[in-house]
Amino acid sequence: MTSLTIHRPIGPAIERRSRAALGPVVGLLVLLAGWEAAGRLLTEAFVLAAPSEVARYLAAEWALMGRALGVTLTNAAAGFVIGNLAAVLLAAVALVWPRSEGVITGLALLVFCLPLVATGPILRVLFGPGPGPQITLAALAVYYTTLIPLLIGLRAAPQSWFDLVRSYGRGRLSTLVHVRAMASLPYLFAGLQIAAPAAFLGAMVGEFTGAQRGMGVLTVRAIRALDVEMTWAIATLATLVSVAVYLAIGAVARRVLLDEPPVILSAPAVTGRRRRRDGWIDASLVLALALGGWAGALWLFDLNPFFAKGPHDVVEALFLAPDAAATRATIGAALAETAIFLIPGYLAGLLAGAALAMLLILVPVLAGTAMPVAIALRSVPIVTTAPLVVLLIGRGALGTIVLVAVMVFFPTFVACLQGLRQAPGQVMSVLDSYAAGPLTRLVRVRIPAMLPAFFAAARMAVPASVLAVTVVEWLATGAGIGSLMALSASLSDYDVLWASVVLVAALSALGYVLVGRVERRVLAIYAPEQLA
Amino acid sequence: MERDVTPPPDVSCTALAKTFEGGTRAVDPIDLTFEEGQTTALVGPSGCGKSTLLRMVAGLDTPTSGTVEIGGAPPVSTLRQAGLSMAFQDPSLLPWRTVRGNIELALKLARHRADPAEIDQLIALVGLDGFAETRPAELSGGMRQRAAIARALATRPGLLLLDEPFGAVDELTRRQLSQDLPRIWEARGTTAILVTHSVSEAVQLSDRVIVLSPRPATIMDDITIDLPRPRAGPAARSDAATALTDRVFAALSKGMAERSAPMAAQ
Amino acid sequence: MTKDLNRRTFLGTGAAALGAGTLGLGSARPAMAQTAVSLQLSWLHSAQFAGSYIALDRGWWAESGLAVSLLPGGPNAPVEPPVVSGTALVGISAADYTAAAVAEGAPFKIIGVAMQKNPFVIASLPANPVNEPADLVGKRIGMALANTPVLEALCTLNGVDIDGIDIVPTQYSAQPLLAGEVDCLLCWETDLPVAMDMQGVENQTMLMADHGYAVHSQTYIATEDSLANRRGDLVRLMSGEVRGWEAYRADTDAAARLTLEMHPDAGLDLETQKLQAARQVPLMFSELTDANGFGWWTDDTVAANVETLGLLGRTVSPDLWDRSILEEVHGT
Repeated sequence: MTSLTIHRPIGPAIERRSRAALGPVVGLLVLLAGWEAAGRLLTEAFVLAAPSEVARYLAAEWALMGRALGVTLTNAAAGFVIGNLAAVLLAAVALVWPRSEGVITGLALLVFCLPLVATGPILRVLFGPGPGPQITLAALAVYYTTLIPLLIGLRAAPQSWFDLVRSYGRGRLSTLVHVRAMASLPYLFAGLQIAAPAAFLGAMVGEFTGAQRGMGVLTVRAIRALDVEMTWAIATLATLVSVAVYLAIGAVARRVLLDEPPVILSAPAVTGRRRRRDGWIDASLVLALALGGWAGALWLFDLNPFFAKGPHDVVEALFLAPDAAATRATIGAALAETAIFLIPGYLAGLLAGAALAMLLILVPVLAGTAMPVAIALRSVPIVTTAPLVVLLIGRGALGTIVLVAVMVFFPTFVACLQGLRQAPGQVMSVLDSYAAGPLTRLVRVRIPAMLPAFFAAARMAVPASVLAVTVVEWLATGAGIGSLMALSASLSDYDVLWASVVLVAALSALGYVLVGRVERRVLAIYAPEQLA
Repeated sequence: MERDVTPPPDVSCTALAKTFEGGTRAVDPIDLTFEEGQTTALVGPSGCGKSTLLRMVAGLDTPTSGTVEIGGAPPVSTLRQAGLSMAFQDPSLLPWRTVRGNIELALKLARHRADPAEIDQLIALVGLDGFAETRPAELSGGMRQRAAIARALATRPGLLLLDEPFGAVDELTRRQLSQDLPRIWEARGTTAILVTHSVSEAVQLSDRVIVLSPRPATIMDDITIDLPRPRAGPAARSDAATALTDRVFAALSKGMAERSAPMAAQ
Repeated sequence: MTKDLNRRTFLGTGAAALGAGTLGLGSARPAMAQTAVSLQLSWLHSAQFAGSYIALDRGWWAESGLAVSLLPGGPNAPVEPPVVSGTALVGISAADYTAAAVAEGAPFKIIGVAMQKNPFVIASLPANPVNEPADLVGKRIGMALANTPVLEALCTLNGVDIDGIDIVPTQYSAQPLLAGEVDCLLCWETDLPVAMDMQGVENQTMLMADHGYAVHSQTYIATEDSLANRRGDLVRLMSGEVRGWEAYRADTDAAARLTLEMHPDAGLDLETQKLQAARQVPLMFSELTDANGFGWWTDDTVAANVETLGLLGRTVSPDLWDRSILEEVHGT
């Protein structure tokens, strides 16, 4: 037998691992030093607590914080389990009955886009006192980001693997057990990593509906009392916990999987060749089911029509009532005001994310440091950052825009960096052979290779940025549709509230679909294989 | 170590044809019988539909018209009895399983008992000793293909289907494998169908070479290879071997010329 | 509006019973059967509701056969839905919010008034004080834009031209005043001024209620259905409240301490709570309540409320106030 030379890429793997371990430490130290310096400089301004002050606060109040954290974590964990089980169940239905996938994902998106401001009080009435709303909101915050990667993962195997199983005469069950389940694991883990901080956020927001205790309760207290140290301490703790859970799931994933979980979570807008007619049928079905489900839920739970408005009430309020024009004008003005914050923030976040990713590709030394920090910061809960950004930048347009941009920036950056790195090695070698500089490579090869990831991030960023802007408007700035929803709830103007909810959810879903359209156009040119 | 060996069947295709959804005719009605215990090579230019033919035999693609019978029964029943193994063009190893794990999975799917010693033997035979516990990502393309061949042989199939099994294997290893592997399935009396675009490989490995035209595939020639074995080394350069090789090339060229005028110039 | 109440009311009571059970409320557990009722508070637990804590802690409700759950509010917890659906028997609202809900079809009545005087104040610094509404002219006032109708009403009541006031939208915080970005703040007597006191910043407040702004605050609301069918429970609940708040008035420091004891997880500061509890007393008690008891009102005060609410754009009828429960409680 002839001897064969084999290259085992063990060396680079070890090197990569040690750099990966060092990167976050360096990044964290830089972050801490900058924060401490800023905190010391701004002591007089009552806006920023330095890490040393935060540490002091946490040391003094550890018992209070610990109890609150325990409560919120418990609810978040329950919601995490329920939401992810629901995602697995929905994915299973889509797998068994493929024709239903479009409708399932459409409905799931619509429900995911429902603003928290509106769902909270309804859940409180449904559940009464106790952790019901916290757990439900946590579950609602996670199921979509698990469902989508799972759906991709269950198909993320070459046809020949399925053929292999069939060639031994085995059917769908064997395929599921031996191929699909394993192939979907990395995607499931990636979804779970995103889900963990989201569940924490959902549980915190759930506490705003009248909970006895928890991190959300303390957040409200801190914001209202303008307790700078407490606000920063809560944000720090929530961030640490979210990052820790994110890393813990990553660690479990690495034990179970061969590779890191994929960071890009969203499939191209349309997988597989689908007929345009199917799209329209699905959209109509989603609409019909959403309206039917809405009316049905009101009937089933026997909710009082004083605050629980049905589809006909919303139509009445928007088009038929004597004051319909005024209602439309109010909501329209609020939506326009929100759009002024939302759209620049969204675009700025996308551009900044993509730009920094490109910069890091040109200056690779920085990437090892910045990437893990960015991945971790992606999980910082918005309800705790909102007050911070407002403290730092103020209630003006800039503060809100920055916050939206931050929410969009981190996922975009992480996805783009992954995308840039996926540039096919052979094509890069061709450019090497022409002695092309780093810039040429970036423009000619890496950016086109990045586009699918960029658009996937851009799509998922639509609901995320809407969540961010409405939460900031609601909790901090008192402007736009977020504030209108909160205000109309406190003034019992539930027609306006429900009409706003419908419009916000519909517009978010529409924005998602619209980005998907642009994505298809662009990918058809730069990455046709993604659409095949 | 002896275990039930599925009796080698013959395979007969009757008026077998495949037209894809878009209207592309991959295979025009074809009548073909693969003799029991023989190794038959299907040779043709890239994209001629020979893989489609193989997939129809394996029951993975449904024919548009015509039938396939394996030992007088439709392919499905052969599949159910796990009497068939296929090595794919893409090695299709599951990345989360080691080489051994992939072979064990095939045995499990085929409902055969796994015999560690026999698996070791097979792994050694394809030149992967020392790599039994290695995952596919750490293997070269050629090594992966050899692992896939070992997997295909492990279930002792009565019918062995090989789709470009040596595509990524380097020249030296390919020569070695071409010598060693047929011995196994010949000793078992396996019916083997080999799809390849390498004329020399076809002549060296098979008892019979069927030359197919470019798409849609029709039979250009059906050549019996009655060379003595082993055929590697000097035997491959014998006059008889050269004559058979020339005949295969001639049939290929003729097929090219018939299907497309511009190609005929080549 | 009441046609669908029955099933919800049943479910709501069940949920409230469950809540009371799991929360283990009520230190005294008499042998008599307890009726579970909930009181929906308008915000997170704090000394703002300390009278209720005293009633609960001393077992006054339990003695009368009520197992009361105090449901905290929050930024996303409007009071009206749980009361309408029967999850809570009584809710803590304010006359303006209640009027808005009634205009939207909620069958509410105000059955008690905890804050006789509205807690809205104009807070300023002694160097540049706002002592009366006329002082507002030429000043920059920091407030949430949503509260503009409140300022408008104050101006109308006092003949002040609102165009002479520079409204600066700010976060609900004392910081813009301290930073000199504004000259005064529109806020509650019991929060931002207390926060400034706690930080040692000398400040003064002008209570809007002293200048004609008559809007009852921290009002007890119940549905017409409850008033018709659950009078006994309402009377017992309000009796406990009255006793609790009288005890609160006697020792606000003790009330603040109890607040922290009962709600250790609310993140409250004792000194702040003591100050807030003390500052609340003049808003809740007056000659009127001394004469008639806690929670009382007269036709005159209701008329003043109707007028101010009219300025806020709310047309209300005096029928919104129903004193029958209080009359039973106070035995008049």
